[in-house]
Amino acid sequence: MSDSFHNSIIWRWFASSPPVTWGIRQLREIFIGALRQGPIPQHIAFVMDGNRRFARSHKIETVEGHNLGFEALARILEVCYKSGVKVVTVYAFSIENFKRSKYEVDALMEMAKTKLTQLAQHGALLDRYGAAIRVLGQRNLVRRDVLEAIDKAVTLTAGNKRAILNVCFPYTSRDEITTAVRNTVVTYSKPHPPPLKRPFSETHISRNIRARQLSTVPEDMAAPKSDSRSTSPSESSKDHDPSDIEQSSADSTLMNSDKIETSPPAVTYLDPETITAETLTMNMFTHDTPPLDLLIRTSGVERLSDFMLWQCHQNTSIVFLNCLWPEFDLWQFLPVLVEWQWQRKKLEERDRGRPRYKLD
Amino acid sequence: MVAFGPRETTAFRRGTTLDGQPLTAKERERMLKPFLPPTPSTGSPSPAASRLPSKRKPAKKSRRPKSMRSFLTSQFHLLVYTIVHTIFSIWFRFRHAWHAVYYRFFALLYYHHRTPEYIQKDVKNLGSLPGHLSVILELNESDDEQGNAGLEGLVNDVCEISAWCACAGIPLLSVYEKTGILKNCIPQTHRSISETLESYFGVDRKPALSLRAPHLQSFSPPTTPPSISYPSSPTATTATTEPPRITVLLLSATDGRNTMVDLTKTLAEMAQKKALDPADISADLIDIELKEAVSGEPDLLVLFSPRVELKGYPPWQVRLTEIFHVPDNAGVNYQVFVRALHKYAKAQMRFGR
Repeated sequence: MSDSFHNSIIWRWFASSPPVTWGIRQLREIFIGALRQGPIPQHIAFVMDGNRRFARSHKIETVEGHNLGFEALARILEVCYKSGVKVVTVYAFSIENFKRSKYEVDALMEMAKTKLTQLAQHGALLDRYGAAIRVLGQRNLVRRDVLEAIDKAVTLTAGNKRAILNVCFPYTSRDEITTAVRNTVVTYSKPHPPPLKRPFSETHISRNIRARQLSTVPEDMAAPKSDSRSTSPSESSKDHDPSDIEQSSADSTLMNSDKIETSPPAVTYLDPETITAETLTMNMFTHDTPPLDLLIRTSGVERLSDFMLWQCHQNTSIVFLNCLWPEFDLWQFLPVLVEWQWQRKKLEERDRGRPRYKLD
Repeated sequence: MVAFGPRETTAFRRGTTLDGQPLTAKERERMLKPFLPPTPSTGSPSPAASRLPSKRKPAKKSRRPKSMRSFLTSQFHLLVYTIVHTIFSIWFRFRHAWHAVYYRFFALLYYHHRTPEYIQKDVKNLGSLPGHLSVILELNESDDEQGNAGLEGLVNDVCEISAWCACAGIPLLSVYEKTGILKNCIPQTHRSISETLESYFGVDRKPALSLRAPHLQSFSPPTTPPSISYPSSPTATTATTEPPRITVLLLSATDGRNTMVDLTKTLAEMAQKKALDPADISADLIDIELKEAVSGEPDLLVLFSPRVELKGYPPWQVRLTEIFHVPDNAGVNYQVFVRALHKYAKAQMRFGR
């Protein structure tokens, strides 16, 4: 009933009339501006689920559903960047999605290519948004022509610093983690480069130390302060050298340790014990982005489906929404953001309250 | 969608004008102008920005009234922000209260009375049951909310959930608790769970229990063999001939990232000794190793917390796990468990298709 009303000609005429369009746009701006007044998540991820179901329920072609999904993405990106989100990560295409019909996969690839090519024609506009596009995932699974469009868009926007759009395109999180593990292992299995020849000799230093000890120890008893200054230049002078050599040759243990240090084993590696969770995080595709604050999945499916597993399993708020992705707009997004802000404020209050409680 | 006129919508969808002519890059830019952010850039105006001034009238005026205007706008936004937050905080509190009543009603509707038959009746009509159920529990330091604090409350929760799983016929339960405090007292926990199972089933029908944690010896009574193997199919459990058996697996934050780090260390050592080619590292290899070291993928993950937050749950394993939570819920209770099983039975598995 409401659906038919929504699609009726009168409603469409009303909704697309200039004053209404203008009014709604102003309203959006007001709400986005209001959101900026509170804390804003630095990194949001979206699983854009429900394009096909939307197409099925509205009796349109699947590809058309994906097109509408892209439109929803554009709307949401506008909201995100205007309200101050630094990084948006979207799950555009899973490696598992290659199992879908060839027609649909081809259409999606074509869509990605067209949109990226169009984007590349507007370099100046992109500078104004200040958003850099990055494509995360298995590049070798993508067709060559699509890859070219990707590279062009990525290089064009690489200099933008204000915001980042991560497009996960053939991506699965397990693949990402595997890649991170593999890259770490590759780094650690490369022979460590031998240390460069430094202009200081270890024997010389130890000899100087010994010289200092020899010269200071007897004098310490007599006059600790006044003579120490006068001895310091004499340490570096060559007068003591002959006695030094005799002394060190007598001290066999020191000589031995010197010999071991000067002849290191042929190949040295980085110590595997220095690998930490941080090392793996730095090898993920999202290594230089802030931690994920919010993950939103539409269409009521409550699972992660191999997305951002490493990034979201700690303190990320995960939100599952019932609306389908093409229907997703500011009006669905706003309550999520406000609730996030509300929770963040409560957490801050609690953290602020805790030390006071302890003092009491 | 509504925020665009028909001209923009057509351009957006087809890349053409209203009468079907393909758009040039120039025309597209002209069309985009009103949607662009009002201030070109924060500090340094780029050459691109000065070429394309905002279409809005006020931007063309001099600098002083603009700063005044921006001050007023920000004050106005702050007002809207306050209003929105006031309304929402009333709504959140109302929703919280409503959910509390609603869940109380469910709790009256579904109660197990510590009788396996009631639980079996609750899950009888379900098409599929999870073969591996996982729960995230929390160690409550203060008992201001649920009345079960500390280790005792936690063990109590584990006991109840294990008993429900045993009654429902779920063979494997993994309990995630961030600090790992349960792993330090496995024998005591085992005894508590056994006692709870006894109170549900009676002494003679009591299911065999095996309690284990990754990297620790499986703890099970000498009469039953330790069952670490996973059932091949999720539904092949409710055999009437032999007594049911339940395996409880205790997980903590160290089984997540730290285990993966340990695996990476081992792999790196092997690669240094030339025992492994880094190219051989695949998702399958990691999967097999982690399955043996920690656990397989759970079919259903039940959260008893008010929000969805994984709190360090092993990341590799939650890939396709159905995550069930009830908004604003606090504490472990049976109605959440039953509703999770109902939801799971209805969820369709699509595996990326």
